[in-house]
Amino acid sequence: MDDEIRVEDFLTTAKQKAFEHDFFKQADEYEKWEDVDFDAVHELDRTFTVEVEDIQSYSQGILDDNPLFNDEAAAAAGPYGGLVGHPLFLTPIAFWLTGDSGPGSWVRTPGAINPGQKIELYEHVRPGDVIRARSRFHDKWIKRGKRYLTYLTEYTNQRDELVAKWWATLILPTSRSDEAHRF
Amino acid sequence: MANVNFDDVELDSALPELVRHVDQRVITRNAAASLDYNPIHVSPAWAAKVDLLGEGTTIAHGMCTFSFMTSVVTNWCAPSGGFVCGLESKFLRPVRPGDTITCKGVVSEKHPRQPGKGFVVVELTAKNQRGETVAVSTARVRLP
Repeated sequence: MDDEIRVEDFLTTAKQKAFEHDFFKQADEYEKWEDVDFDAVHELDRTFTVEVEDIQSYSQGILDDNPLFNDEAAAAAGPYGGLVGHPLFLTPIAFWLTGDSGPGSWVRTPGAINPGQKIELYEHVRPGDVIRARSRFHDKWIKRGKRYLTYLTEYTNQRDELVAKWWATLILPTSRSDEAHRF
Repeated sequence: MANVNFDDVELDSALPELVRHVDQRVITRNAAASLDYNPIHVSPAWAAKVDLLGEGTTIAHGMCTFSFMTSVVTNWCAPSGGFVCGLESKFLRPVRPGDTITCKGVVSEKHPRQPGKGFVVVELTAKNQRGETVAVSTARVRLP
């Protein structure tokens, strides 16, 4: 049965083992669609120090065996001069920096649905980089009975270089009950 | 893979496609890799209980499908030093355990700039085994 496939069996990196994977646990404390602050700019407290295992685990998780995202020796001889993250390696970075409460925690809302995303990338992410984020409200709207929320988050590295901007959008459920989205 | 550079890339040229079979192991592994443990992805029991999206199964992460489409681009451009500088996606249909996703891309635009700064736009689609489009995306790629 699929329930025999346990999350715990796939936790290989230090960050994966440390990260709270029960999204129900603090669900009552997540930021809500109706409560977002339109004006606040949030400098997120956490940082993401990029390890080789983080990059490799993400590549394996998306079934990408490109040596430039997996093999340190091959990547060192390649055009980027070293291992780099896949362009969407930003995903675990985003979840790690958001944490399990506070600004942006709505991304953990059980039942939230992903309608699509927009990301601009400026620099590769490499082992040893320390990524920080600044996040703010961008838009929220109701369309065909569904509630959308977008935050704009800017990611910088330890050299204060802008690494990426992500307009992250989710459709948030209207209730904390078990009511499902119906289309 | 052949060298990919801005001058030689042809408009309307197709990138090599990529096929991925998605099952619950793939989905749960992706959850761990991306730190996204929304129960819609990792809990078949919860998905059945709430009759998620009317079929009661888990669904794959949209970001996972997006990553498959993006890998079409990086497989093509990364060995030559291309850089993905923009990505945009829309997720149109759920991807469920058991689906096989085929991702394809076509070079739709060329934007000349100073040497080394020109970029192309690749339009991407992801379709399931029934030929239904599950996602579309565009990638802006700076090419040497």
